Amino acid sequence: MNAKDNLFEIIKANASQKELNWIETKATGSLQSLQTAFVATPRFICKTPINTSEKLNGVDFKSWTLDKLVRAYFLVSLSDSDKEVYTKTLNTLFETAENNEAVALISSLAFLENPETWLLRATDAVRTNIGVVFDAIAFENPYPQKYFSELAWNQLVLKCIFNDKPIDRILGLDERANKELATSISNLAHERWAAGRSIPPQAWRLVVKYLEETIFEDIKRLFDSENQKDQIAAALVCKYTEFEIAKSKLEIHLDLKDKTKDLTWSSLEC
Amino acid sequence: MCQKESEIKQNPSHFEGTAEEHEMSKTIQANYMDYVKGMKFFDPHIHMSSRTTDDYTALVDAGVVAIIEPAFWLGQPRTGLASFKDYYSSLVGWERFRSSQFGIKHYCTIGLNSREANNEALAEEVMEILPLFLYKEGVVGVGEIGFDDQTAAEEKYYRQQLEMSKEAGLPVQVHTPHRDKKKGTELSMSIALEHGIDPRMVIIDHNNEETVESVLDKGFWAAFTIYPFTKMGNERMVELVKKYGPERIMINSAADWGISDPLAVPKTAALMKIRGISDEAIKLVCYQNAIDAFAQSGQIHVSDFETPQEIDQSLKFNGNTVLRGGQIPRVDKDSIFIS
Repeated sequence: MNAKDNLFEIIKANASQKELNWIETKATGSLQSLQTAFVATPRFICKTPINTSEKLNGVDFKSWTLDKLVRAYFLVSLSDSDKEVYTKTLNTLFETAENNEAVALISSLAFLENPETWLLRATDAVRTNIGVVFDAIAFENPYPQKYFSELAWNQLVLKCIFNDKPIDRILGLDERANKELATSISNLAHERWAAGRSIPPQAWRLVVKYLEETIFEDIKRLFDSENQKDQIAAALVCKYTEFEIAKSKLEIHLDLKDKTKDLTWSSLEC
Repeated sequence: MCQKESEIKQNPSHFEGTAEEHEMSKTIQANYMDYVKGMKFFDPHIHMSSRTTDDYTALVDAGVVAIIEPAFWLGQPRTGLASFKDYYSSLVGWERFRSSQFGIKHYCTIGLNSREANNEALAEEVMEILPLFLYKEGVVGVGEIGFDDQTAAEEKYYRQQLEMSKEAGLPVQVHTPHRDKKKGTELSMSIALEHGIDPRMVIIDHNNEETVESVLDKGFWAAFTIYPFTKMGNERMVELVKKYGPERIMINSAADWGISDPLAVPKTAALMKIRGISDEAIKLVCYQNAIDAFAQSGQIHVSDFETPQEIDQSLKFNGNTVLRGGQIPRVDKDSIFIS
């Protein structure tokens, strides 16, 4: 089954007959009519949470509502046989989007034909200051992991950290860790420390694979922090790293070593 | 307000209240908000895009729970379609989000304002994109539209937008002109009726003592803008409510980038309370009537603002956005979590 059929199966299991009737009359319409249906969706479709364990193209629907799902369905129903018209239609939807529409568009990127075409829309969602739209690209969205350049990826992760957002909801966080990002985390920490502020302790998970002499100095500082979460972060870094000096450091902090037995990075996200 | 005792003595006609009211008048400047404690307000006309975050804070503190931001001009004419598109999109995007950070529910009305209707080439293009926005969530009307100089072009696009409102099933928020107001108001109403629009779907805005009777008699909603110097003062407003009662009357601040007061609704409510208008009437004029009029759009769900919402800006605000420069975010004081 293609994305369209799969989405419709989930809709069928969650929508009322009246809602299904409306969707069916709209889904077969012209581009213009689908565009209007996308906008008008909340007038006809409830915002009830979706109940499904299915995943599609890497998307998990556990935080989705029915109106958002129906909007995704209308988007994949747009015919791309005329590329120019298709692109224009989607661009208009992006450019005139109300916040919930923007969230639906960004959350549906993985279902679109040639998703890489929409890279600029995705990175614009990282640039936005509208929280819900940023969250739509950052969290439980497979698009950044698959299509973002290293630079764009690092911006996304750094902005999350900068704004105290939960990075463990970013898909591919450990897989796409890189040296550049590890250095940026260290730099951000120095900047914050100089201002008498701190960075979220879970950010240090991003340096695990790239730990070396310089960044290890930061980890030592965390062990001395008054914040217990910083200490746990330091212990977790030492626990998972291949950097030998750090591994042996953990043997000095046996109480922390013991604590990290039951803790993961996600335990620090609250 | 003319409430200083010395002024009242010199000019007694400004204040002809009871002895009790007279006593109250001495202290109202200091504690007028006490009179409206616990009341909820709905400001159906306020241009938040041109206001600061301090105003949002003040609105929250004064009990304003929801607002409508009508589309208007920017103080100078736009020169291209993209400016209109970006503006409309900001009303359903950034400004809506900004407002939500203060726990205020933000609605808007979308339309081509009368001044810019006079650029016909551009107006034609705007007419084409309006339907894209009229059907969006939280768009509660076509507005603010109507007459300014009362030109032929203004009439043409007023009529076209009335047709759009019918098509979309949306109420209409009608701006009445500063100059030649009475004539402009009568014209606006007669054109709406000519298009077969139910007067219950039309809110005639910026009324005064000269226009209100005809507006109410014809079955339209009468909105009053409490705006210093150029529109209504709130002492006059109190007298109007005493005279006409609260039915189909609502007030707004129309606060914008001019010398205006975003707290016009709660301040006027306080003055009504002080001058002996019933709580029930105050609620109608400052809250319920606006909801009833604009909820005809199907886009207002009172549960969105009547149920207290947790506001925790520290969760939602981004570091480089509204709260800049290390300001301490206002968080819900009742929350057990301190971070």
